[in-house]
Amino acid sequence: MSRILIVMVAVLGIGALGASARADDAPPPAACPREIELGVRNALGPMVAATTAGQTPITCRVSRPPTHLENGVANAGAVESVIAQAQLSDGRTAVVEVAPTGKVLSVHYAHSDLSGSSTKAMALVFWIFALVSVGGAVFVITRKNLIAAVMGMVGSFLGIAAIYMMLYAQFLAVVQMLVYAGAIMVLFVFVVMILNRPEDEPVAPTGRIGQGLGGAAILYLVVRLIWLLGRVEPPNAELAAAAPPPVDQCIEWQNHACVQMGSYDWGSVRSVGTDLFGAGLFPFEAISILLLLAVVGAIAIARPLHTEDDAPAKTRAEGAA
Amino acid sequence: MSNLLWNIGYPHFLVLAAVLFLIGVVGVLVRRNALIILMSVELMLNAANVTLLAFSRMWGDISAHTFALIVIAVAAAEASVGLAIVVAVFRGRHNVEVDRLNTLRH
Repeated sequence: MSRILIVMVAVLGIGALGASARADDAPPPAACPREIELGVRNALGPMVAATTAGQTPITCRVSRPPTHLENGVANAGAVESVIAQAQLSDGRTAVVEVAPTGKVLSVHYAHSDLSGSSTKAMALVFWIFALVSVGGAVFVITRKNLIAAVMGMVGSFLGIAAIYMMLYAQFLAVVQMLVYAGAIMVLFVFVVMILNRPEDEPVAPTGRIGQGLGGAAILYLVVRLIWLLGRVEPPNAELAAAAPPPVDQCIEWQNHACVQMGSYDWGSVRSVGTDLFGAGLFPFEAISILLLLAVVGAIAIARPLHTEDDAPAKTRAEGAA
Repeated sequence: MSNLLWNIGYPHFLVLAAVLFLIGVVGVLVRRNALIILMSVELMLNAANVTLLAFSRMWGDISAHTFALIVIAVAAAEASVGLAIVVAVFRGRHNVEVDRLNTLRH
């Protein structure tokens, strides 16, 4: 038991270190070229805050498309658009994507939930639900009592649903609560009630060498994963920190060509459903067959193999004899 | 340090997912009860979903939501078949400790 707790503490500690090691080498924002500032001012109108003491409220950062390989040579790509940030008079920040000609491509109003302009309240919410989900998960793998483990799992799933909500996946958060915390966990509780046997030794006994090797392997995995994920940079930091823009999706197809486009809120039922029944149609149909197979298979497996009044089996056995 | 605490970005979500996944891995490796192992697998699937949704939001691509929905459906199918196997095994042997399950017959 205490061995697992030590591993967990190490995991969390290294996690914090890995997240702090995040590189922050983005170029500092600078004043915009003339035509871009004009374009931003035209798009936002009188909402832009007043210029104070020579400080312009509009700053720019050149964005490049991600580096890609072209015939084996790394190609950094030409400047496609400039990301301008404008301070608005009501305190919000507008993130404007402008073409080098000054034509405005998109305008987003930054929410205060992700990197860049995070508020303490949202950070607190994140830490609370991260703690709930990790705590529930640790509960699952340390408890001897199976019902306690299942309850820890429910807590963990609810925390993860809240994390989904923070990532603007409202529909999936609700599905998570209904399917996981509701249905699957009720199934687990039923099976635990059927089995209902206390365990004498929940953790597999291994030798000292096995423990050392396993611990080292897990620790290496932890360090590598966190080193990798702690350094992830969004392709476009300002746009990624703003609230996700509505998704433009094709809602009517004719002869494999789009005839009508629609624009839906990010993560809503409509946007997920439009993608599910458009690009994801084949996986969706495959899943329906998989679920049917799972239902039939579960019943076939869980049925008692030999019952007293199993007439066909008895005849078969007699015929064989 | 205070920046790390109060400035929540994508690395936070991804590292949270990695921690959840590794707790699942440890659960699968060290526990002997088949039910706990199944729950740890569900935990790993959930961690993968968190990663999917974080990257979806980061790249502005909604199709990862469809993928996550399909992962949830596969997890439900896996849980039902896995629990059916656990019940069938328990019926024959009256225990579900994976260390003792080393033959296919009763």
